[in-house]
Amino acid sequence: MPEDRARPKPGTSREATLNHALAGAGAADGRSLEELREAALAFYEAAEPPVWRRSGFWTTSLRDLDLASLEPRHADPQAGIPAVVAEAIGERPRGGLLVQRGATVVHCQLDEGLAAAGVVLCPLEQAAREHPELFARYYLRSLTYDRDKLEAANAALWSGGAFLYVPDGVRVEHPFQLAYTIDAGQSAQYAHTLAIGGAGAEFRLQEYDVAGPIEGQALHAGAFELYLEDGARCRLAHYSDWGPGEVFDVSKAVVSVGRDAYCHWLPALLGGHLTRQHLELAVREPGGDMAFRGLFFTEGTEHLDLFGVDLHETGPSGGDVHWRGAATGHSRASFEGLIQIAPGAQQTHTYLQIHSMMLSPEAKIDAIPSVLVAADDVSASHGGTVGELDETAIFYMQSRGLTRPQAVRVIIEGFFEPLIGELEDEALEELVRERIAGKLQAAEDDIRAYAASR
Amino acid sequence: MADLEIRNLHVRTEEREILRGVDLSVSRGEIHALMGPNGSGKSTLANTLLGHPAYEITEGSIFFAGQDITEAEPHERARAGLFLAFQYPVAIPGVSVANFLRMAINAQSEEPIAMKEFRQRLERAVELLDVERTFTSRHLNEGFSGGEKKRAEILQLAVLRPTLAVLDETDSGLDIDALRTVAEGVDRLHAEHGLGVLIITHYQRILHYVTPHFVHVMLDGRIVLEGGVELVERLEREGYDQIRQEVGAGA
Ligand SMILES: Nc1ncnc2c1ncn2[C@@H]1O[C@H](COP(=O)(O)OP(=O)(O)OP(=O)(O)O)[C@@H](O)[C@H]1O
Ligand SMILES: [Mg+2]
Repeated sequence: MPEDRARPKPGTSREATLNHALAGAGAADGRSLEELREAALAFYEAAEPPVWRRSGFWTTSLRDLDLASLEPRHADPQAGIPAVVAEAIGERPRGGLLVQRGATVVHCQLDEGLAAAGVVLCPLEQAAREHPELFARYYLRSLTYDRDKLEAANAALWSGGAFLYVPDGVRVEHPFQLAYTIDAGQSAQYAHTLAIGGAGAEFRLQEYDVAGPIEGQALHAGAFELYLEDGARCRLAHYSDWGPGEVFDVSKAVVSVGRDAYCHWLPALLGGHLTRQHLELAVREPGGDMAFRGLFFTEGTEHLDLFGVDLHETGPSGGDVHWRGAATGHSRASFEGLIQIAPGAQQTHTYLQIHSMMLSPEAKIDAIPSVLVAADDVSASHGGTVGELDETAIFYMQSRGLTRPQAVRVIIEGFFEPLIGELEDEALEELVRERIAGKLQAAEDDIRAYAASR
Repeated sequence: MADLEIRNLHVRTEEREILRGVDLSVSRGEIHALMGPNGSGKSTLANTLLGHPAYEITEGSIFFAGQDITEAEPHERARAGLFLAFQYPVAIPGVSVANFLRMAINAQSEEPIAMKEFRQRLERAVELLDVERTFTSRHLNEGFSGGEKKRAEILQLAVLRPTLAVLDETDSGLDIDALRTVAEGVDRLHAEHGLGVLIITHYQRILHYVTPHFVHVMLDGRIVLEGGVELVERLEREGYDQIRQEVGAGA
């Protein structure tokens, strides 16, 4: 494949740029936070709301979002942890916890032993002041502000934010938990997480993006960056459920894997009116390895548009992308998975698989794998399945005493289980299972009607 | 009334009548064999008994434990005590044999089964069927060999303890030793718990271990001949063509 297809070409259509890997082209170039905010604001004010198109039949637009009517809402910093967050994060041992409500961090706590070992967990605003060197070295190293209006909005307007630093060689047993929640309509949340794993650090990180019912529209424009230095290892999970309200989630997340480092990343996207996420896992140094997992389940009239990138900038490196999604109701979900291997990233081996399960005649899932390879000594391939409920299996289980809904639940859990089990975190696994069960219960009539129609 | 009573059952699927007036009664403690050539409707009868949605009952009725279950949902039939060991068991990905069985027991009873009691039941079934202990932590029927699938069916039978079981060609695909183990297992469930059994088979061999009290022969969707175990030998000797001619001549 010609080399130029592996890099974003200046002057190609907006859509192509919007669906392209960021490829490490971060905005950071020695400018101060203020200068970056200013530049981002200028871009934001000039830019039109983005439209994502692919292959001619799939469009995600923010046409229905009244951006002008939304404002960041500051919460009382002493207000404590909202119930919807408490339910998601559970009661459990943890390394630390940071909670942001609207535009304000309302809770931040770090295990004392970890603090003594040099671990930092604080609002990103505070990190910019108190850890200027770390902040300057990593902030926006892999994220941009000039690809689209919402990305610019985040870079210009973020407040609160989360900063996690795990120093060289520090190993942490219990997960760090971050949570962003929205509890008011007509609000915009510009969330920004910056996390760094020093050389040889080992830790778990979980980000929860959650909301209960909300009146009116709300926007979560999120940015997430994680940098893993030489030999660092991280198990990263995102859990997102924006509830039944009209929440738009337009986010970008980039994980940067250093020399001999490893990341296992699993986003679980389990609710939101309209979600468009760009998720990029990039191996930047030789010996880096990663497992990029993900699951989604859309219902009702939800619209989910995911662009997942498995990027290899150098070799030897390893990748393994495995996503699973289900859809009920009239929902629409699209997962575009891109394997991109840069010139010179020799001896890279990666595989992408996408499995989808349709649970209603009106639901639609598009799984679009693509491969851009600019090196010759590599293996990159993809596969996947599109499934419907297996009526033979349902009857088999019914004949053993399970009701039809119970049997359907077993099948769907079995479908997702290979990924859920990989979370290796009982509390989070249970949360995901319960959420999936809840969605199935809500879709019971729908699923029954589908069976009858076939 | 017998525990299971099938009266004048007519069943069709995809615009074709497959069962054309079947009468059959099976009670607890009885062992019945149902034989018949390929395509005569044996599996159709078995699946219809459990309420498979592909088969439409156009006439007749099914009673089980005194209840008319002709229209009942499959899970209601299972809860009433009916069990089918499938001719072609399907894989249930992501669910272990043990977890599936616990779900099934809990689905069939008011109170969830105590972990200890469940383990004991499972343990006994594992011994009865002579399978590795790790067998029950494998995903149900996923990657199972033909013989393993059949064993897994009878293992489920042993754990779930229905009052009446239909075994649809459980013997096919089993090697000689496995066949003996499985058949003796069924025989023990019959002897110890009074399990009623309807064995669908093409072969004599299984009937050496589980001796039927009654033998029924199905041809073209009807039971055309009934008798004792001596009927099996006659079938071996004469084949179905001979019988077809006789009953055809008699009709
Ligand atoms: N779901 C179905 N759809 C269409 N035709 C069916 C279906 N099930 C059964 N049949 C047809 O009904 C007839 C009886 O099939 P059935 O499986 O009951 O036979 P069987 O006696 O069990 O045969 P075997 O000994 O080969 O297992 C066959 O002609 C078969 O093709
Ligand atoms: Mg059959």
